[in-house]
Amino acid sequence: MTFPATPRSGFRAVVRGRNIKLTVVVVQSFDKDEVSEDRMIALRKRAEIDSKYLLTFVQKSSSDLKHSLNRLGSIVAELANTYYRDEGRRVKTCIEKKSFSSVDLNIRYCFKVAVYAEFRRDWGEALRFYEDAYRALREIIGTSTRLPAIQRLVEIKSVAEQLHFKASTILLHGGKIIEAIAWFRQHHAAYKKLIGAPEVIFLHWEWMSRQFLVFAELLETSSAVIPSNTSLPLVTKDNKPLTESEFNPAYYYQLAAHYLREKKCCLELALSASEAVAEIESSADSVIPSVYVGQFARLLEQGDALVMQNLTDAEYVLYALAEGKRFQDSFEIIALLKKSFESYSNLKAQRMASYCSCQMAREYFSVGKFDNAKELFDGVASLYRKEGWTTLLWDVLGYLRECSKRLGSVKDFIEYSLEMAALPISSGDEVQSPIHKGEYGPAGCASLPQRERIYSEVFGIMKGESGLTSNEGNVTLNVTPERPIRLEIDLVSPLRVAFLASVAFHDQVAKPGASIFFTLSLISQLPQPVEIDQLEVKFNQSECNFTIASAQKAPISATSIGKTGARVVTAPVLTVVTNKWLRLTYDVTSELSGKLECKSVIARLGPLFTICCQAESPASMNDLPLWKFEDHVETFPTRDPALAFSGQKFIQVDEPDPQVDLVLGASGPALVGERFMLPVTIVSKGHEIHSGELKINLVDARRGAALGSPREMEPISTDSLHVELLGVSRPDGDDEPQTGQDNIWKIQHSFGLLSVPFVNLGGSWSCKLEIKWHRPKPVMLYVSLGYLPTSNGSTIQKVHAHKSLQIEGKTAIMIGHRFMLPFRRNPLLLSKIKVAPNSNQSTTLALNETSILIVSAKNCTEVPLRLVSMSIEMDENDIGKSCTVRQRDESQKDHALLVPGEEFRKVFSVIPKIHSPNLAMGTVCFTWKRDSGLDKQSDSNITEAGIITRHKLPDVNVEMAPLVVSLECPPHTILGIPFTCYVKIQNQTEFLQEVKYLIADSQSFLLSGSHNDMVSVLPKSEHILGYKLVPLASGSQQLPRITVTAVRYSAELSLPQATSTVFVFPSEPHFKMGNLKEKVTEIVTTGA
Amino acid sequence: MIVCIAVVGHQSFTEADDALKLHHIVHCSLDVIDERVNNPKKTGSTLNETYLGLLYPTENYKVYGYLTNTKVKFILVTTHLDVRDADVRNFFRRFHSAYVDAVSNPFHVPGKKITSQTFAERVSTIVKSFGLSSAV
Repeated sequence: MTFPATPRSGFRAVVRGRNIKLTVVVVQSFDKDEVSEDRMIALRKRAEIDSKYLLTFVQKSSSDLKHSLNRLGSIVAELANTYYRDEGRRVKTCIEKKSFSSVDLNIRYCFKVAVYAEFRRDWGEALRFYEDAYRALREIIGTSTRLPAIQRLVEIKSVAEQLHFKASTILLHGGKIIEAIAWFRQHHAAYKKLIGAPEVIFLHWEWMSRQFLVFAELLETSSAVIPSNTSLPLVTKDNKPLTESEFNPAYYYQLAAHYLREKKCCLELALSASEAVAEIESSADSVIPSVYVGQFARLLEQGDALVMQNLTDAEYVLYALAEGKRFQDSFEIIALLKKSFESYSNLKAQRMASYCSCQMAREYFSVGKFDNAKELFDGVASLYRKEGWTTLLWDVLGYLRECSKRLGSVKDFIEYSLEMAALPISSGDEVQSPIHKGEYGPAGCASLPQRERIYSEVFGIMKGESGLTSNEGNVTLNVTPERPIRLEIDLVSPLRVAFLASVAFHDQVAKPGASIFFTLSLISQLPQPVEIDQLEVKFNQSECNFTIASAQKAPISATSIGKTGARVVTAPVLTVVTNKWLRLTYDVTSELSGKLECKSVIARLGPLFTICCQAESPASMNDLPLWKFEDHVETFPTRDPALAFSGQKFIQVDEPDPQVDLVLGASGPALVGERFMLPVTIVSKGHEIHSGELKINLVDARRGAALGSPREMEPISTDSLHVELLGVSRPDGDDEPQTGQDNIWKIQHSFGLLSVPFVNLGGSWSCKLEIKWHRPKPVMLYVSLGYLPTSNGSTIQKVHAHKSLQIEGKTAIMIGHRFMLPFRRNPLLLSKIKVAPNSNQSTTLALNETSILIVSAKNCTEVPLRLVSMSIEMDENDIGKSCTVRQRDESQKDHALLVPGEEFRKVFSVIPKIHSPNLAMGTVCFTWKRDSGLDKQSDSNITEAGIITRHKLPDVNVEMAPLVVSLECPPHTILGIPFTCYVKIQNQTEFLQEVKYLIADSQSFLLSGSHNDMVSVLPKSEHILGYKLVPLASGSQQLPRITVTAVRYSAELSLPQATSTVFVFPSEPHFKMGNLKEKVTEIVTTGA
Repeated sequence: MIVCIAVVGHQSFTEADDALKLHHIVHCSLDVIDERVNNPKKTGSTLNETYLGLLYPTENYKVYGYLTNTKVKFILVTTHLDVRDADVRNFFRRFHSAYVDAVSNPFHVPGKKITSQTFAERVSTIVKSFGLSSAV
């Protein structure tokens, strides 16, 4: 440890007098070398310092070091704070007592106080004193005589700039954006008019520009935001409204650029005024900024020492000019504008941005960067074009015209010139007033004479009469035969105002080979009449193209027409007068069917210049974008006003009428399932048929009927399986496509395409379409024949004949079925008891019992049908296992005829063999065919096979019957002769069944046996009740009704009334019985 | 002095002075109008207010705007730097009624430039009286 040197008394005196504070820092390397308390006190006393200002500084660890540094920092800050406060207070009293010799000193004092306050972060006071200084400075303008006049003003402005900068910074950092803007406004207003001496005006503008630039940068970098809670219009303290743009740095950048531009102009003026250029160069050599703000001095060498010598105003002016020359203001201006442009673009203030970009382009133009200028001007021009600001557009186009001239682009030059010449400007003074001097671009003020001048200039060039030498002399614009000019004017081109072609066909459709009339109309807004040498009209069918030559200029254009060999017509006059339609009506002939469209109209003006205008339909023509606001006479492009609203530049040329008959022979509705034959016959009536093609289309009539032409029809996808085109049979019976190369043979579900062989004049050809319906559905059949009427050449288009027919598809056979109980036998089915009678349940059959199934088929059509067979098909894997289905009778002979509405029935017996809740019963297959009469039966082998209509039988519920009651009694008996009748109660279960029975008395019979009783039937056995009956009446008699009740199931069983009848003969009948044996044929299933 | 008064319709416009600079000013002021109309909340102007107030100050001019119910914009450019809001309001009201009369002319085609001589005279009267009223 080392001790600080003992302060000498002299040093102490110096310290005391100057209000200097001491801080003693004891630097320790390690924590533990503690300095003893006594030594510290001694040290403090010797140095005469407060204990606060003695601190130990520990270097050992980083945390200690940080701590020590913080302490040292705070102590020094506190001391500095005190010092500046005291100093400030001292200077302040000077100001308050006004104890200063000059105002200049006052400003200086104020500045000092403010800076001290700033050191202490007392922003309020700093601001107050900056403002005081600024105000004091304002007062000495015009009164101070300290320096020569020019330099004095420069100095004042420099100081003002400093003070303003300080004040603005403090305001903006304090978030007082409104105050800052108000302050800036006032600053701007105060100094705006202080232009100064005329030879150095540029210094003033430069200064102004800098004020804006600095404020813009401050605003941009400051964190202050526009107060959102207060609503606009915001007002400053003195109640002047603020606008949104003043919160935007772009506004200030833009104005900075504006003033800098002003500076540039004035500087150029000043430089051109001062002749002594050499003098300027030399005089600036030794001048440097002085140590004082805003002062300049000449540095002179006197021996070894350097001496500052004050300048005279004349010297200073020369110096300022020399300095000004060194800077390239244009690039500075462009940079400022670019900032402004970007900011406005971000704010989507498109017009402001384009104004900036326009200014930028003008600056580029002034420094000779025509490429950059042209690019920017083009962007601006498109906005003005879109929004229709003619005056602004004129100015920009003037620049663009000049740019393309300088760049040597003849085509651009002509385009811009034509656009300018056609702008809607009809008034305006030709001479520009001196006030606006410099404001207008190279095109000058917009006026009609200017338009005319531009027009004649550009037409001079276009006709090759005169070249145009640009002012710079290095570029010459002229049109040479090697580089002819061709302008394209489309629907969005700005040159539509200069030249617009409209084409209207008089009709909408035309016959091939007939004359088609149309009106070609041309209009121009150019200020003088345009003479056209010839017009070429181009169509999409190039054979129709033709040329209109002007009668006056015919000899000139003859050479060029000779080459093409196209049609040439002559028009008496081809001059387009301003805003007056030139209407020309001509006719063309088209041999091709389809669309004939006028594509373009090419106007030839002189040998080297053509304008190609895209043809427009009057019906869909847009107004001329700029002229539509003008109050000028508007006429129709065609003589017929109706055509002006509806005229189109295209026409539909029909195809020639077919001279062929296409016959679809329909024979009533089609039946579902059959292969419906539909003959198609083609009869030639006036055309031979070459390379014929037959297209067939099937479309759902309900949905697709609206579709017009079969060519455009989409194949039906979802319904395609309901109705299907199976094939086409040719008259020679050859279904397969022939191997000929041209033959097409394509059949799909709903679409067919086949080629038709050559048919002679008067000849015919036919084929049959085979269509199958899978569902009943009406269908539209479209058949179209396309052919060539002559065999030669492919240029001639096909002729088409169309035919359509709606065909109904109907269901032929309705199949129904019914189950019946076996004869005089009633099994007890438990599921029938349990379920409510009217519930919708599948049929229940008893296991191993014979049930009866009756299948009926009804002819629903209007034609007689012939039955081929009826059978029941089981599923493959169920055959013979689950149940047996037998055909009961064979009395029906095959090939029975069913007249319309007749029903055919067939009886089957069913014995279920499997206990199952849903047993598949199989499908009824009904095979039938149309009855085409006996003699025609062998007509076609297709119909011979018959059509199978299927009907799926519903699944049945099969269950075991615990009890079966059956009645055995003879079918007939004789009056008075007793007969025996047995009621068998069969117990099929493993349990003892108690059965009650009850027999009701009947008047027709005398009855013996127990009326009512209860019996027990043993498991798997049978109980027989026998009754002896004597019939008392003859005829069909109802047997006494027997009701059996199974106690276990509390279910009642009785035989159906219909089956329990017996026929009673009055006496013994005498029959002649033959040897008829009842045959039972098993037809369907015979086990696997 | 009022140097320019412009009527900007949906696309067209007419005006009193032809100086290019004023065209630029009027054109740029449309951006401010757009912003005011699109962000009424931010600018705090009430919906039914047709007078838009000071649009923006340029170096030498002040630009005021007015928007009719049919979205026709009136833009006033003046060299007066101290203008009372009430005067401008009053001016616009009188100008609006002159405009309404002019476009109500059966021979005027909506959307075209107004070419009426009477309208021009009336506008110049209003413009002249503007200076006077503010002087009082």
